[in-house]
Amino acid sequence: MNKAKERNRMLIGYALALPAFLTVMLTVAYPIVSNVIMSFQDEGTGAFTLDNYKYFFTTPAQLKNIGFTLYIVVMTVVLAVVIAYLLALYLRFIKSPISKAIGTLYLLPRFIPGLVAVYAMITIIRDSGVINRISLLFGYDFKPALMYHASGMIMMNLWFNIPFAALMITAGLGAIPDSVIESARDVGASKLRVFRSIILPLSVKDVVIAGTFVFMSNVGSFTTPYLMGGNSPKMLAIALFDQFNKYLNYNRAAALSVIMFLICSVSAGVYIYTNLKENEWE
Amino acid sequence: MKTKRLLAALTASALVATLFAGCGGSGSGSDNAAADSGSADTSSSASAGKTTVNVWATGSDNVRQIFETLVEDFNTNSEYKDTYEAKLNFLLSGTGGATLPDMLISSYKANQEKTDFDVMDLGDEDVTKVLSMVGEDAIQPLDFSKIPNAEKVSAKPIALEGKLQPYRGTTVVLAYNSDKIPENEVPTTYDELEQWIKDHPGRFVYNTPGTGGAGDSFARTTVYNLIDDPSALTSSDPKWMEQWDAGFEKLKELHPYMYKSGGTIVYPNKNQGALDLLTQGEIDMCPMWADMVLSQRKAGIVPESVKITTIQPSFQGSVQGICVPASSSNPEGGFAFINYILSADAQTLLVQQMAAIPVVTDGVDLSGAEDLMNLDTSKFRTMGIGDLGTDFNARWDDEIGTLG
Repeated sequence: MNKAKERNRMLIGYALALPAFLTVMLTVAYPIVSNVIMSFQDEGTGAFTLDNYKYFFTTPAQLKNIGFTLYIVVMTVVLAVVIAYLLALYLRFIKSPISKAIGTLYLLPRFIPGLVAVYAMITIIRDSGVINRISLLFGYDFKPALMYHASGMIMMNLWFNIPFAALMITAGLGAIPDSVIESARDVGASKLRVFRSIILPLSVKDVVIAGTFVFMSNVGSFTTPYLMGGNSPKMLAIALFDQFNKYLNYNRAAALSVIMFLICSVSAGVYIYTNLKENEWE
Repeated sequence: MKTKRLLAALTASALVATLFAGCGGSGSGSDNAAADSGSADTSSSASAGKTTVNVWATGSDNVRQIFETLVEDFNTNSEYKDTYEAKLNFLLSGTGGATLPDMLISSYKANQEKTDFDVMDLGDEDVTKVLSMVGEDAIQPLDFSKIPNAEKVSAKPIALEGKLQPYRGTTVVLAYNSDKIPENEVPTTYDELEQWIKDHPGRFVYNTPGTGGAGDSFARTTVYNLIDDPSALTSSDPKWMEQWDAGFEKLKELHPYMYKSGGTIVYPNKNQGALDLLTQGEIDMCPMWADMVLSQRKAGIVPESVKITTIQPSFQGSVQGICVPASSSNPEGGFAFINYILSADAQTLLVQQMAAIPVVTDGVDLSGAEDLMNLDTSKFRTMGIGDLGTDFNARWDDEIGTLG
């Protein structure tokens, strides 16, 4: 009797989870599986082949694209996280009207549509943009050489990612109780010592997680490199767009998607590892 | 307790049901449109003696705007308003669904005899596609006795003459900054252009082929100018690929003279990317669609100093055609709409609103778009290389794009 009741309860549990489960299966798992299968198929015959992958790892231009993407993404992650961490520290520990103002303003970029922000940045940094025109006023013809170059794209990525990373890190720093810091100070710990022994260890997890998120969202970024990038080398999302829309080679497009997925999964692995470690620490 | 459980189970199953319904709907959404149109032979018999003319068009948003204006004008035009009621069916291009030629092809293959494809707007590539997939029987011959305005039109379609009526032109021209380039130095031939590019390093660029028609046109013109047989321009036969070598060598030779930023050669993405460089004064010349220059100049985005000119042999131009599919439920209405679109009034709307090149000039108001006068649609160099375009872009990306 009791067993039957328990089983019923379990069934209801499954029934409740079923819609979500099916949604994920149909919209996430199924496309991924069919994409992976496609990536191993020959364009014409559909037979098993590794050529789609070989193409990306043997063609010099495509290898350059992969390296270029990693360069931009890693630079973005490092710069965004470092700047965001400094910003978060400032917001957490310095109490002044200025820090309060910055605390409310720094999220503003997240409310500006991406396309608008990209065009605004282009207007400023292009070789005939605002910077150039201001330099002309002073008699110089300074060309920033940011537009169409990696440096310009990294700058744009920072605009999108610093607020995001700072938001995550600020939340982490906010969780550190003032009492812990005050008691350490009371027993004579220097500021640096407090930072090294208390603040850094307590917030490093959020920093790593912010980094993994920034990494993943930038591997596949499209709008910025499409509008601001040059024609070669390209970021992988543009290379993917080429395969899919320009060359209509769906099997290669599938293979490149898998490659991008694998690159992201490195970062996802770091994320999961950090989350597991948290339990140990506490 | 029991009722609660029952409720939970019901909610869950309802959720599952909606989920499946949702999937089914979104999965076949684009096909539904095609299927519906097949069974819609009743829709063309509207009340009060008026018949419905379903107008089908596809393209960017500027095409939607002009067709909305044209349909509205047609429905209030004294000549047609008592007999016909036009209805616009517009498909925005590049949104991933079935394209207009796809829909026509699938409807024809499914042997649908009466559809509401009464009159349809088709570009060069669309026509090439329809011809290669189902042949010319999908489109019915035009009854010119019902389209008297067609007499004044001298432009010829890329194919299907007598079935496809050209109604507006669009072409790639050379856009240049007249402040920087004196009138007598503006190139008039391709060779002069080549010389100009070499004499003025960094002042010319074309957008990456595959990201916009202007760049495609420059690259293709360069390559196909070096192929002696003019029939290559309208052929998708892979044999022509062997003759591309000389043209690609030429593109390589021109590469070092292109626009530079921070010391490296850069080809911008999209037509607008190249036009922006011209507008900003970073370059002095680029190939560009005539309508883009003229409409943006009218809007004040492109300065008045930017002018357009044509060279010989010219860049690719095309005439957009309109036709009555064989399965039209209302061919009479279709012919009437075609007759209307060739009228001076409709042509004026096309010129004024989208800077299209008119196919008739008699009685058409060209004010503000006088540059269009020199562009003769009957002399356009049409190009339709079909699937070869894909290989062409891939080769460009591989050989020219990577030169750095």
